[in-house]
Amino acid sequence: MSDGTATATVADRSERSGTRFDIDWVRRNGVFVALGLLLLANVFLTENFVSTGTLRLQLVQVAPVVIVALGMALVIGTEGIDLSVGAVMALAAALIPLYVGYGSVGAIAIGLVAGVVVGLIAGVLVGVVGVQPIVATLGLMVAIRGVANLFGGEIKSIREPGLVSLGTGDVAGVPYVVVIAAVVSLVVWLVVRRSTYGRQLVAIGGNKLAARLAGLPVRRVLVTTYVVSGLLAAMAGILLAARSQASDPTKLGQLMELSAITAVVIGGTPLSGGQVRILGTIAGALLMQLITATLIFHDIPDSTAQIVQAVIVIGAVYVQLGRGKARRS
Amino acid sequence: MTSKKSTAAWRSLAAVAAAGLALSGCTNSGDDTASDPGSGNDEQVVKETENSGPGCTLEKYGAEKLDLKNAVVGFSQSEPDTAAFRAAETESIKAAAQEVGVKKLITTNANAELPKQIADIQDMLNQGAQFLIVAPVNSDGLDPALAAAKKKGVPVLTIDRKVTNEPCSDYVAFLGSDFYDQGQRAADELATATDGEAKVAVLLGSSGNNVTDERNAGFKDRVEEKYPDLEIIAEQTANFARDEGQSVTEQLLQSNPEITAIYAHNDEMALGAVTAVRAAGKDPGEDIKIVSIDGTRNAVQAIVDGDINAVIESNPRFGPLAFQTAEDFFAGEEIPEDVIIEDDSYTTENAEQDLGKAF
Repeated sequence: MSDGTATATVADRSERSGTRFDIDWVRRNGVFVALGLLLLANVFLTENFVSTGTLRLQLVQVAPVVIVALGMALVIGTEGIDLSVGAVMALAAALIPLYVGYGSVGAIAIGLVAGVVVGLIAGVLVGVVGVQPIVATLGLMVAIRGVANLFGGEIKSIREPGLVSLGTGDVAGVPYVVVIAAVVSLVVWLVVRRSTYGRQLVAIGGNKLAARLAGLPVRRVLVTTYVVSGLLAAMAGILLAARSQASDPTKLGQLMELSAITAVVIGGTPLSGGQVRILGTIAGALLMQLITATLIFHDIPDSTAQIVQAVIVIGAVYVQLGRGKARRS
Repeated sequence: MTSKKSTAAWRSLAAVAAAGLALSGCTNSGDDTASDPGSGNDEQVVKETENSGPGCTLEKYGAEKLDLKNAVVGFSQSEPDTAAFRAAETESIKAAAQEVGVKKLITTNANAELPKQIADIQDMLNQGAQFLIVAPVNSDGLDPALAAAKKKGVPVLTIDRKVTNEPCSDYVAFLGSDFYDQGQRAADELATATDGEAKVAVLLGSSGNNVTDERNAGFKDRVEEKYPDLEIIAEQTANFARDEGQSVTEQLLQSNPEITAIYAHNDEMALGAVTAVRAAGKDPGEDIKIVSIDGTRNAVQAIVDGDINAVIESNPRFGPLAFQTAEDFFAGEEIPEDVIIEDDSYTTENAEQDLGKAF
């Protein structure tokens, strides 16, 4: 359940802090409980909710968010943040119609490379130059959106059969988009739990100075992490464009950074780094998706929906802050 | 210890950034429509009956006579030209300026940000603009810019979105569409397409936007008045965007399988709905009738293809009318407070032959 927790001491501390134990439990498992309860409530209370069509739709819609959020979870694990993901999605999607002449595989490859390049820039700014992650990626967020608009221009339709089937096709009833998100989740989970890189990432996020003194390749790990985030964002952008059969550089991926950070945070990964919770992140994304669906199914106005989502985010951050205090005491 | 402190500071910074992002999402306003490039031609016609309000004259406004031929004219566009509506609008102003033969046309784009538009207008005044055409970002809040223009004696004509300031004092007049009327006509078209009987889902534009409110009110009032069997069963915002139009429609088709018609506040959301309906295994335009507003090339093409049933036009080509109005004004004629244009519509009957008029 607890993926890639930095060291055993974290768990020890929370047990020692006695009264804070509950809030820590909530932080770790709250998202699963909330997801289960909301699912149950919908099964009983929402008309037309229990159907394979509904399930399939929620998974299809959440898939790009999950992919972006996994990259974000890694970045947040290093005590960083990546605000450029939405713009990277737009850039990758904007390149697709321009290079579709090289075939769908060629166009997808170019889109992914663009994501890697932006990730590399972010990684070098943060890891090598030492710019604060929020500043570096905020700058990139604005700049890359501009580049996407420059390349992409007006919204363009995507009609290339390979891309259309990537967006709308399925294997044995499971949409490709969902399969891809599942595979990415598994790979990221394995990397965080099993690889040297995963352990180094968590150690660096926990205490950069100690990691450096211990001789860990801090720069390399940071650069790699932002590159992965860029790559995953580009992948999500391409999938989203393939699914909607259109690429809109102005709007695609807008506020995705917010959705991804939300999924990570309510999934129990602390913004202070040192932990990466993959299952929690996926559950966080699913919870936000299910909330959106619930509100639409009950035809609740958008303004109310926004307030509900804000309350959940603030609640999740509050739980984290409570934990922060516990750690300090 | 310091690292703990910096962690706390970092956390609050992140919270501020998140809040900023959330806010910037709300400013995403307006009638953002887009299509593949290439805009046709369809000159705006003034609706004679709806010219309302007392007229505004050069004398009443307190401006000096100006020969547009030797004048510096400024145009402040509200939103990025990546949207087809904005692209067609800017293009039309530029073409008309050239036609009239102005000395210089300065154009700016506020990128949907009110402070930028205020700065843009002040810049243009400093550059010697003698007459301004403004597509306001927002109905409220342009006061400092309008005051600066007034101080310099530069007349301002607003297009496509009306400001709440005093006409013939803060600005000369407003040229634009009647969004309420567009909503009413959308109801008529939907009734025609469905023989007056349907379960309707509405895709709303961005909330807190006068275009959304008026297109919604017009539609609802007309349905209440004339079409008792058009039942509105769901209303959800899709923020004038194609991808949101798609994802919201997908959810609505799951939650309300009985939906037989969709009214979208703009073409982009309607095009998203077409994709969603098709993905749900239904035939857009047939199983589920779709009506929207704007008249973009892609949407009118979708009528030709049988995916959308009707589109009410919202004509973005303000150039000729704006310069004609300016010429009349400087010639001493009376200009009504609201110059409302006549918008056409595209249906299965005329879409093919009128495709060239779409933008």
